[in-house]
Amino acid sequence: MKRDWIWYFSVMGLIALFLILYETNVFANLTKEDTEVVRVENPQAASDATEQEEEQEEILDGEFTVINKEKNMKDEEVVKNERQAEDGIIPSRISIPAIDVDASVEEVGILDNGEMGVPEDPMKAGWFEPGTQPGNRGNSVIAGHVDSRTGPAVFYHLDQLKKGDEITVTGEDGEEKTYVVQKLESYPENQSPIEQIFGSTNEKRLNLITCTGEFIRDQGGHQDRLVVYSTLKEPVEEVEVPTNVKVSGAFVTWHAVRSDNVVGYRVYESRDDGETFEKVASISQHERKAYSESKAGEYQYYVTAVDQQGNESAPSSIAMGSYK
Amino acid sequence: MQNIKRILITLLAFMMLMPSIAMADSHATVKTPASDLRATLDQLLSEHFVLATTYLMKAYDEAPDQDAVWEKLDQNAQDMTPAIASIYGDEAAQQFEDIFRGHNDYVDGFVEAAKNDDAEARQMAEAEVEEFVNEFGGFLATATEGNLPEDAAKQVLEAHEQDVVKVFDHYVNEEYQEAYQAFREGFNRMFDISKALSSAIVTQMPEKFEQTKADTPAADLRSNLNALASEHFALAVLEMQKGYDQAADYDFVTWAENEHTSDFKAAIASLYGEEGAVQFEKVWQQDHITAQSEIVTAALEEDEEARQMAEENLMMFAEDFGAFLATATEGNLPEDAAKEAVWQHEEQVLNTFDAYVDGDYTKAYDHFREGYGFMFGIGETLGDAIVKQMPDQFEQDMMPEQMPDTGMGGMSDGITTWMWAAFGVLAVVAAGALYRKQTNS
Repeated sequence: MKRDWIWYFSVMGLIALFLILYETNVFANLTKEDTEVVRVENPQAASDATEQEEEQEEILDGEFTVINKEKNMKDEEVVKNERQAEDGIIPSRISIPAIDVDASVEEVGILDNGEMGVPEDPMKAGWFEPGTQPGNRGNSVIAGHVDSRTGPAVFYHLDQLKKGDEITVTGEDGEEKTYVVQKLESYPENQSPIEQIFGSTNEKRLNLITCTGEFIRDQGGHQDRLVVYSTLKEPVEEVEVPTNVKVSGAFVTWHAVRSDNVVGYRVYESRDDGETFEKVASISQHERKAYSESKAGEYQYYVTAVDQQGNESAPSSIAMGSYK
Repeated sequence: MQNIKRILITLLAFMMLMPSIAMADSHATVKTPASDLRATLDQLLSEHFVLATTYLMKAYDEAPDQDAVWEKLDQNAQDMTPAIASIYGDEAAQQFEDIFRGHNDYVDGFVEAAKNDDAEARQMAEAEVEEFVNEFGGFLATATEGNLPEDAAKQVLEAHEQDVVKVFDHYVNEEYQEAYQAFREGFNRMFDISKALSSAIVTQMPEKFEQTKADTPAADLRSNLNALASEHFALAVLEMQKGYDQAADYDFVTWAENEHTSDFKAAIASLYGEEGAVQFEKVWQQDHITAQSEIVTAALEEDEEARQMAEENLMMFAEDFGAFLATATEGNLPEDAAKEAVWQHEEQVLNTFDAYVDGDYTKAYDHFREGYGFMFGIGETLGDAIVKQMPDQFEQDMMPEQMPDTGMGGMSDGITTWMWAAFGVLAVVAAGALYRKQTNS
């Protein structure tokens, strides 16, 4: 029997060790080693960085100026960077194929204590109804439990998502909006950058929230919040290629693309017989479709069209001057 | 020694005088009474076309400036009356005015028919045009005493009316490339009409026009330059308006401008060769066509700085183009005068546009008419400089009206006087010879 006890203590010891290891989160670290979650201890500093990013975007947007066509040009001011019309949905389901999530979504609001509400049912996700509808410009927010008292909940594997994974939200009328994961960040619960998650933005975003971090019951539960940031995957429409690109004298000219969605054109120039092309001009849709260069006759050119979402068309045929 | 020096100096002075002597000898000029008549008709007829087509588009769009355009279209018709009166007298001029001013009213018929999609109204408008073509064709044939045959007159009027309607129909159908193609064709046809009409009048009244012709190479050159310069002005004004309104046909006006540029280039090539033409095209496009469009962009974006820059570019163009013209004409067009004229033109373009942006349409089209007329002064001055530069090419100007009077008519008198005279001389000589022989012997 002595041998039995040796076995017994060995097994029990192993189990105890296992439990101790479990308590110290070794496994969590092992299994979650390859997540892309970035833990942000000081979101204030981080939000500065985000702001800078937004400014950059403004500069990129400034490449083309869009004149507001709705208004009477005679007396109304010109509006730059006009955006597309809204078309949001009221979400009823969310599916995330990468982590086998397919759950129904219900509307939640703000609780009396100021927190965002979460569905009673741990297998349901909650869409923050006072906020942005999925599909619209702004931050739509959907939150879900990571676990219930008894086991994993709807967003248990949320931290396993990778950049590029897709999230599909289905509206009440069956319309789908697909988002692409951009980044995963976790914050100490009371230091989360609320403005960045819920505030206004020029982009069309969907942010998923769940709990993460250590569970400390007497401190209100999970210590951190995980936020998965994703942006709307716009249906990629092929941008029409500009035609009739011609070099005559000092002018490179082309025919405009007759589409309301096109905001401008990029002109590319090659000074080495077509080996390499470099962008030399961005021409907005309301401008004359011409690029002026006194040596245009010696170079080669192609032109692309760019739509409101920044999609660029394929290059036009290459044009060159009649004399060299 | 002293003598040789004096001879050399005299020779030198003489050689220096030579060019001016040669020039004084050359009578090549675009400034003849016949050529002036043709230029006047060039201006009035082509302006009529531009205003008529512009009015049709604006009226169809119910644009706020449609009334101002209409007013100028009517003024243009009234301006033709004194021109006719100076040739055919007041009575005929009045008759002309009645027919011609009246025909402008038909355009509203086309606009209303298109807006209401009313086939019957359209037919009525077409019938009225036909009536005008017959009536006015008859008037012209009678006035020119058949020098412009009635059939030819009607044909050319018919073609013109078709041009106007074609521009309008394509515009309504949103076939803008075709519309501006028709615009360019119709515009240039006005200069053909002017040539035919002025030639007929000049042939009818050679004395009134001092025996000069309206269809000499020099007159042709002046008229071609008139057409090129004034079409540029008309398209520039239209382009800037359409660009500012972001009209659907904006890109097609710029297309028409590019087509016009290559026509102008071809004209320069025929005068100064391919190299000069290439140079012309670059100067013409850069700081000019581009800058005029930049003025529009600046207005749309309300960018004061961009406006300033575009204006500076236009000033640069006045400098560059003035210098180009002076060099090309070898100083026959003085550089300063050329620069000043070009800048004056740019100012007129800017004034027309600015008044349009301000919504002061009467002022805008006042500036338009002034600027449009100015282009014909450019045609005259530049044309004359070119003709003076290359008198050989335009010398035909001096072809006499009739063959020389190289006989005194003596041969036609039957028995000729000189036979009698010769007979008399012979008789006297023979008599003399006989007399000497007799005295010697």
